[in-house]
Amino acid sequence: MTAQSSILTAPTSIAIPGTRLNTREPKVEVKDLSFFYGSSKALKNISLTLPERAVTAFIGPSGCGKSTLLRTFNRIYELYPNQRAEGEIRVDGNNILDRSQDLNLLRAKVGMVFQKPTPFPMSIYDNIAFGIRLYEKLSRSELDERVQRALTRAALWDEVKDKLNASGLSLSGGQQQRLCIARTVAVRPEVILLDEPASALDPISTAKIEELIDELKTEYTIAIVTHNMQQAARVSDLTAFMYLGELIEFGETTSLFQAPREKRTQDYITGRFG
Amino acid sequence: MASYAARRGTNGVMMTLCTAAAVFGLIWLAIILIELFWRGFSGLSVDVFTKMTPPPGSDGGLLNAIAGSLLMTVIAVAVGTPIGILAGTYMAEYGRHHRLSMVVRFINDILLSAPSIIVGLFVYEMLVVTLGHFSGIAGAAALAILVLPVVVRTTEDMLLLVPDALREAGTAIGAPRWVVIRSVAYKAARAGMITGVLLAIARISGETAPLLFTALNNQFWSLNLDAPMASLPVTIFQFALSPYESWQNLAWTGALIITLAVLALSIIARVFGSQKESS
Repeated sequence: MTAQSSILTAPTSIAIPGTRLNTREPKVEVKDLSFFYGSSKALKNISLTLPERAVTAFIGPSGCGKSTLLRTFNRIYELYPNQRAEGEIRVDGNNILDRSQDLNLLRAKVGMVFQKPTPFPMSIYDNIAFGIRLYEKLSRSELDERVQRALTRAALWDEVKDKLNASGLSLSGGQQQRLCIARTVAVRPEVILLDEPASALDPISTAKIEELIDELKTEYTIAIVTHNMQQAARVSDLTAFMYLGELIEFGETTSLFQAPREKRTQDYITGRFG
Repeated sequence: MASYAARRGTNGVMMTLCTAAAVFGLIWLAIILIELFWRGFSGLSVDVFTKMTPPPGSDGGLLNAIAGSLLMTVIAVAVGTPIGILAGTYMAEYGRHHRLSMVVRFINDILLSAPSIIVGLFVYEMLVVTLGHFSGIAGAAALAILVLPVVVRTTEDMLLLVPDALREAGTAIGAPRWVVIRSVAYKAARAGMITGVLLAIARISGETAPLLFTALNNQFWSLNLDAPMASLPVTIFQFALSPYESWQNLAWTGALIITLAVLALSIIARVFGSQKESS
């Protein structure tokens, strides 16, 4: 316990010991973050840093708080009463938990893709254009181009270019999820949060999403929650292992999986619990 | 444990009882409809839609009653629907966890099942007595009060069926709450909400009691909302109770017209409902 708490309270730069990623600028810095559902504490004093243009994976058993943590990065939890966060989350140095933070601008900057594909009940084109229209007044041709670029970025363009006016709901599950990623990318965020983006998909769609994540990290800072440890190992640069609302271990993915420092991490990744 | 044969036997008995109950229930509906169609169709002619309600003993049509019914229904829906949708939206979206929503929902449920004659009496006291005479606007007001709870209820129910994941997705893209409601939640719930409005129209199109106390009736062509106005249900009520055969026949025809209109609305509502499933 003492060893672990010393890791957690140590400066964040040491939390990623001796990695090449240390040279990256920090994008999201979490300090002493606690989260409450009513009176029950779901996150306990989490501190960690997501480096820019890298993929950070969050793993851990169900209920460990990894999705909760992700949902604080864009304050989506504010949709519900009785949920609140304490501490600091700095995106580019600004504390986004600050009351003065404009939530809509924050969410345009920190995009999110959910576990279940959630296309809006409108055409494929409008699904993408919806977010763009919120913040930019573009001519039809500029908008067309942005929609095409977003769909291309999400590796969906070739499959839908002939039916942009079809309902987003007419696509397959995997296509719907890529549509959601395209929709997120279209508003030009800087951080993308992926909450188990492939858990409702078949293996082929999952592989496509993983390829896509690999593509996207050249441009975006990505945080992904996953139940699938192979997936975490495949797609991420850094991995955080969480358990019962605490951050147990955080480090470079290869070292975390090959030589975990904590016994609980080792037990989890070798399948002894969870 | 009962044997297979015994279970089959029980199943057969139960199925027979259920079928018999269904047939018993439907038989009365069938008798009513057959009688209505038989009597109503025989009186159906161009005159019905082109001539005014006649004085006793002579021939005429239902034009002023049809026009009055349409006008008052349109006004009632135009007034009741926006208020109802806004109230339902408040309860399902903004005030889901507020006490005010619970209070409004409770009162709305009472209004939903309140006898329509009470609504008629209420508007009589409020408008007819204060204005000093019966009027079309009072009739429209009474119908609007009847539309309101139906629309509130269906709007709330349909919006609550929209998964929160969809609202989260809209919010996560940076859309303000009102945009999420307007562009995402309303779109997803549209079919059900339209069905609710159509059902409300169907409900008020046969209402007689509230109109008797408010719009009363008018034997002549009039679209003046400040004067008594004819309507199909009140005309049917008056003509059906009269001793004159030509009036009685017109009452049957009027009843048929209302029935067909409600049937058409139900079919449209069904079509909208099934669109929702396929999309």
